[in-house]
Amino acid sequence: MNIYINNLFFTYLPHIAMTLFWFGVITRIVKTSKSLQAESSQFLAKKGQRWGGNLFHYGILLVFIGHFTGLFTPEHFYHLFMTTETKRILAVTMGSVFGTAAVVGITILLVRRLKDQRIRINSSIADILLIVLLLFEMVLGLISVAISAGSSVENYAALGEWAQKVITFQPDAGAVIAGHSVIYKLHIITGLFIFMIFPYTKLMHMFVMPVAYFFRSGYQLVRRGFTKRPA
Amino acid sequence: MKIQAQIAMVLNLDKCIGCHTCSVTCKNVWTTRKGMEYAWFNNVETKPGQGYPTDWENQEKWTGGWVLDKSRLRPRMGNKKGIMKNIFSNPYLPQIDDYYEPFTFNYSILHSSAKFTTPPTARPHSMITGLPMEKIEKGPNWEDNLGGAFEERSKEKNFNDIDKEIFSKFENAFMMYLPRLCEHCLNPSCVAACPSGAIYKRQDDGIVLIDQDRCRGWRQCVSACPYKKIYFNWKTKRSEKCTLCYPKIENGEPTICSETCVGRIRYIGVMLYDAERIQESASTENPVDLYQSHIDIFLDPNNPEIIAEAHKQGIPDNFIDAAQKSPVYKMAVEWKVAFPLHPEYRTLPMVWYTPPLSPIQEEVESGRLGFNGIIPDVDMLRIPVKYLANMFTAGDEKPVREALVKMLAMRAFMRGKTIENSEDERVLSGTGLTAEMVNEMYRYMAIADYEDRFVIPISHKEYAFDTFGDKAGCGFSDGEGCGSMESRLKNLFGGM
Repeated sequence: MNIYINNLFFTYLPHIAMTLFWFGVITRIVKTSKSLQAESSQFLAKKGQRWGGNLFHYGILLVFIGHFTGLFTPEHFYHLFMTTETKRILAVTMGSVFGTAAVVGITILLVRRLKDQRIRINSSIADILLIVLLLFEMVLGLISVAISAGSSVENYAALGEWAQKVITFQPDAGAVIAGHSVIYKLHIITGLFIFMIFPYTKLMHMFVMPVAYFFRSGYQLVRRGFTKRPA
Repeated sequence: MKIQAQIAMVLNLDKCIGCHTCSVTCKNVWTTRKGMEYAWFNNVETKPGQGYPTDWENQEKWTGGWVLDKSRLRPRMGNKKGIMKNIFSNPYLPQIDDYYEPFTFNYSILHSSAKFTTPPTARPHSMITGLPMEKIEKGPNWEDNLGGAFEERSKEKNFNDIDKEIFSKFENAFMMYLPRLCEHCLNPSCVAACPSGAIYKRQDDGIVLIDQDRCRGWRQCVSACPYKKIYFNWKTKRSEKCTLCYPKIENGEPTICSETCVGRIRYIGVMLYDAERIQESASTENPVDLYQSHIDIFLDPNNPEIIAEAHKQGIPDNFIDAAQKSPVYKMAVEWKVAFPLHPEYRTLPMVWYTPPLSPIQEEVESGRLGFNGIIPDVDMLRIPVKYLANMFTAGDEKPVREALVKMLAMRAFMRGKTIENSEDERVLSGTGLTAEMVNEMYRYMAIADYEDRFVIPISHKEYAFDTFGDKAGCGFSDGEGCGSMESRLKNLFGGM
């Protein structure tokens, strides 16, 4: 690939994408935090929602954790516990298991959304396109898992090196993966595209994941109104 | 002791005629919006019947309410972890078809149709998809006046421990109306199950509300409520529920369902209770004892010590006054003729019911009528006492029997007084009533003047916050901010 294009996509685009992502996320949370919600369609159609919803969500959560730790753990740190080869085996196994779960899940959800009349009629184009986009990205991801399994360890290690160079603002970040398969590259570009549109989609519901529930003391919630406080 | 006040309600089922005025006025005020067509914050169902949503009393299926897990209270759905693991797909969530698919008719075709040999018909159309429906198979009151087959209707839970086959015969059929709304429980399981913390109970008047700005649509509350009185708005994808018409209550006015009740069966009043004993009361081991343990946490508003303590804890004077005149306190605690709906759910519901009397069976004509002294034997009533007990006291017949006897005795006594002009106190023996009490019961339950039915103190919003800043606000909104949905959708950041 042309060096200029390669740099544009893999050195500069990540920064542009993350800037847009955080700008959008912060403005949306500040400006319209009330609009963040789960957007569940389970009430209108249960069929397929149980398997689809669970497989996809649990799968994608673990895939996300895998990407995050896998890409951003520095080499000298993980070498304290494991070799790069071990890490690759770990990544390839977990990635294929959870990635497949997520792909199967989202396929069920896509079929459900298209086939069930109630959901179909009450879906916006954005709802359907988002699923298709995620499915496309995840299929690319699964193929890149297969490529990683069949290529050299250096090829695999370079991915982490690229990610770490990007977040540390190294100008030669893009060059690290210049020679990689086009599947990886498409996966990265699509992923960055998802980050850019993220704040304007229902993906924002991740930011209202109700973890605070675990920290609520007891179960009940009471709000005080007009009773005068005891003197 | 932590004294709190609750606006509570009693429904005198003995006088309910099943006219649905409450449901219709409630619907017109609160749920005519898109996404809520199927929802009835107040509905009236005919019992015996599976109700709305179908089979709502079956908690093995819907997992509403609380259970004792190693003598500790937890939502039946599971503890916090159990609820959170189902957040991506709630296996206990009722579907729109468990309520009914809302429909309308395309009446406009009656005007616009071309000339045919047969007159045009208005077909039903789904309000969810907009498409024509072949057949309407369900509605919010599908079993109206015992509509449908006995086999279907009798699947309901209140027939537990009853040999129900004899009631399938026409001569033995019985029915009653059960108007239902949010119970505004003291121990609400919807609040407990809401992971976002959007549902809360108001300390001052006990009304349970969903904060529409904080609801994220995780839909756990819908299955957590054993009365199925939380409705998922499929359009905004957030939950909504009965508000006990809080804007009216705050203003000292009854709810719209109570105000418009033509049978004058509804009573609204203040109850003082000890908030520190809620947990203990709801954790009572044997479900049969829950009715008594619920009564035990109510405080006597006429006790000088309670009054002094309530003052000290900041309960406003007009709330204490209202509690002393509360028709709910009289019926639930003093006369014990009102009962909570399904106390075994352990939510400590605050909408109570007076059980209905029913026609004395054919024995009257055949001369075999059993008499318990002078008044008729309650076992002769058409509605089996066990059935009522399963509904109101977790199966304990004694309190229900006593209440029915009191109501029969009141009738016999007042009949003597007004028709034969004699106050025959013999009919009251063994009922625990005095002539004075009966006269008061008669005033409240039979005459039921507006001022006696509704004793609602005006809320002290001035203590809560400076309301000047609220002027010219958008008032009640459907949780989507001010303005129309269309204008909000133009927002760059989308969402609803």
